[in-house]
Amino acid sequence: MSNPTTQKTDATEQPPPQAKPQVLEEDDEFEDFPVEGINQTTKCFRGATKLTLQHSDWPQEEAEQTSGSTANGGSEHLWEESWDDDDAAEDFSKQLQ
Amino acid sequence: MGQTPVLDQFLGSLQELVQKRDGAKVQDFLQLEPPLSDIYQRMVTELRQNYAPGAKAEAELLQRCEPLVPRSKGGSWTAFPTFVKLYLVFLRDMNTDNLLETYNQLKALLNQCVLALGDSQMGVVVLPTVLYLSKVLAKLAMGLDRRPDLIAHIRRMEGLAAQDESIEKVTLVEKSANVVREAFIKCLTDRTGTPGPHGKPEGKRIGIYLMANLCLKLLFQCGKLRNAEQMFASISAQSPPLAYFPASQRVTYLYYLGRYLFANNLFFPARIALQAAYDQCHRQAISQRHLILSYLIPCNIILGRFPSQALLQRPEAQGLAAHFQPLCRLIVRGDYLAFRQHLFFGSPTAEWFARKGILFTLRNRCEILVWRSFARKVFMYGGSWGGPQAQAQKGPPPVLNLKKLIVATRWLQAQHASSGNSPAITNLYGSQVVSEPTDLDYARLEGADGRASPATDQEILGKYGDYLAPDGFYTEEGRLHPNQPGQLVDGDPKEDYGDYELDPYAYDFDDRTEADSSMMQEIESIFASLITQGLMGGYLLHREPRFAVPGARIKGILPTGFPNVWQTISARESQDSNVPGWVQPRAPAVAGGGRVVNLAGARPVGIQ
Repeated sequence: MSNPTTQKTDATEQPPPQAKPQVLEEDDEFEDFPVEGINQTTKCFRGATKLTLQHSDWPQEEAEQTSGSTANGGSEHLWEESWDDDDAAEDFSKQLQ
Repeated sequence: MGQTPVLDQFLGSLQELVQKRDGAKVQDFLQLEPPLSDIYQRMVTELRQNYAPGAKAEAELLQRCEPLVPRSKGGSWTAFPTFVKLYLVFLRDMNTDNLLETYNQLKALLNQCVLALGDSQMGVVVLPTVLYLSKVLAKLAMGLDRRPDLIAHIRRMEGLAAQDESIEKVTLVEKSANVVREAFIKCLTDRTGTPGPHGKPEGKRIGIYLMANLCLKLLFQCGKLRNAEQMFASISAQSPPLAYFPASQRVTYLYYLGRYLFANNLFFPARIALQAAYDQCHRQAISQRHLILSYLIPCNIILGRFPSQALLQRPEAQGLAAHFQPLCRLIVRGDYLAFRQHLFFGSPTAEWFARKGILFTLRNRCEILVWRSFARKVFMYGGSWGGPQAQAQKGPPPVLNLKKLIVATRWLQAQHASSGNSPAITNLYGSQVVSEPTDLDYARLEGADGRASPATDQEILGKYGDYLAPDGFYTEEGRLHPNQPGQLVDGDPKEDYGDYELDPYAYDFDDRTEADSSMMQEIESIFASLITQGLMGGYLLHREPRFAVPGARIKGILPTGFPNVWQTISARESQDSNVPGWVQPRAPAVAGGGRVVNLAGARPVGIQ
C-alpha cells in the first residue's frame, strides 16, 4: 500500500490544480454555437442575457467547405478506402520461402 | 414594513410579461448570475431589509408573487408564484463563498421551474427560463466537478469524509443531469398541436433538443452514458424529426448521438450521425468541427476507412494527424506487437486516445485489421498461389500453410525482442502470440525464477498478516476474541504441500512443439474470426492447417482472399440505414395509412 504516500508527495510538488483541467475544458467541451442578434430591450430589468430560444441556424451552404475541388454537391476525397500495402517487401519474406 | 419600490416594479413588469406570455423576456428578467447589475442589487437590499430569512417572510413573499398568475386561469398555475418566490429567496441568500449551498439552492430553483413548465397552458412561458437555469446549473456543476478544491473546505466543515469526495463530485453533475432530464421529458411529452414523430416542433417541443443536448453534455461529463439510453429511446418514439430544428441543435445532438453510438460499438450508425454532424456544422465553427472529427476519424478507421491527406490538412483537423496517422500506418504494416505497444495503456502514444475515451475501443476493434494486414503479407510472400498464370487454370485453389504464420509471428517476436522494444514472448502457458504483462497486483508474487512461487512465511505474514493473523476475531457466538500478535487464527497448517504440483497449467516449457501447437490454435482462431467477419474470403482446413481461397478467378486472388474492409463492412451494414435516436422526416405518404408493402416477391396476375 504505497499509494497514499506517493500521492501526497505528488500533491505537494504539483503546481496549483487549475492548469490542467482548464486545458481539458477548452479541448473537450462541445461549446454552444454563438447566437447573433439577441435582446435589444433597454428596460430597467434587462440583463446581459446570452440565451434565448432563438438558437443559431444556418443554411447548408454555410456548412459546406468552399475549398472543395468539386462544386456541385460532390465532396472532396476525405477517406481512403484502399490502403493495403502491396509493395513493401517485408524482411520476413525470405523466411517464408 | 418598509418600501420596496424596486421589488414592486419587478413584480409588476413580470406580471405584464406573463400576461403577454413573453417567455424570452421573462427569462431575461430572472437574472441570477453575478455580477448582478445595480438594479438587481437594489432589489436584493430591499429583500434583505424587508424579508429577512424565516418562514413568515417566505409566506409574505409568496403572497406577493401570487398575483403574477392570471386570475382567469383560476390560479391553477401555482407552481409559478412559488418559483418566483424561490427565485427572490435565492437572490437574497446567495453566498458565493459556499458554492455547494448555491448549487443546491439553484437545483431546487430549477426543480420548481420545471414544475411550472409542466402546466399544459402556461408552462411554455417558462421554457426559456428553464433552459437558462439549466445552463447555469450545468456550468456550476461542471465547474465544481473540475475544481473540487473550491468546495473542499465546505465539505470539511460539514464533516464530510475525504473519501466521499470522489463520489460526491460526480453526483453533482449527475444530479444536474437528472433535473435537466425532467425538463426534457416535459418538452418531449407536450401534447399541444400535433405531437409525436410526425408533428412539428411547437409549444414546449421546441425545447426538446435544447434540453436533450444539455442533458447529454452533463451525462458525458459524468461518464453516465448508460443513462442516455432511455432519452434516445424516448426521442425515437416521440420527437418530431430532427430536421425541423435549427442547425446548431441538430449538429450538437448528432455529435452526442454519434459518440453514444460509438461508445456502444455501433460504429456504422455512429459514423452516419457524426458525418452528418460534420457536414451540417457551420464551417467557421472550427472548435466544434475539430471535436466531431476526433470521433468521426476513429469511427471510420474501425470501419476500414482512413482519413485522407485532404481531410487532415483542413484547419479543423489540426493536430489530429499526429495521433491517427501512426495508427493507420501500424494497421497497414500488420505488426501487431508494435500496434499493441502503441496503444498500451500508460504509453505516451496512448494517452491522448485514453483522454478522448476511445483507447480501448480502438485497441479492441483495430487489432483484427492489423491481423488481416499481417495475414495478407504472409499470404503474399508465403502462399502457394502458383503465380499469375495459374489463375486461369483449373486446379486446387491458392492456399496458405498456416505454419508460415507461425514462422512470421516468431520472426516478428524475435525482432521486437532484439530491438528491446517489447519483452520477448516468455509465456510458460497461455497465449503464445502475445505476452501479457504480469498483473500489477500479482507482480510481487513472482519468485526469483520468474515463476509465481510461494514466498517465505515471514513475507506472507508481512503482506497478509491482517487477514491470517489479525489482532482479534469473532467467535461463533459473535464475540470479539483477541488474538496473539502473529498467531494464525486458523492454527498452523497441518499438511505440507511441498511435494504437490500446485500450478494448474503445469507445463513443460522446454517443449517447443507444445508451444507451436498452442500458437497454431490461436492463429486458426484469428483466421476463423477474420473469415466470419468477412474480412477474409476463403475457408480453413484443420488437419494440415491451411487457408484456401477458392473462386478467385474473376476478382483475383488477393481481392478475393482479402476483400476491401470498408466495402465489406458497408455492404453488410448499409442494409439498415436507420440510426437509432435520429428521427427522420416521414417518407412521402404511401396509400393505405402509411403502411409500406414490400412487393419484391409479388408476381403479375395470371402467371402461374
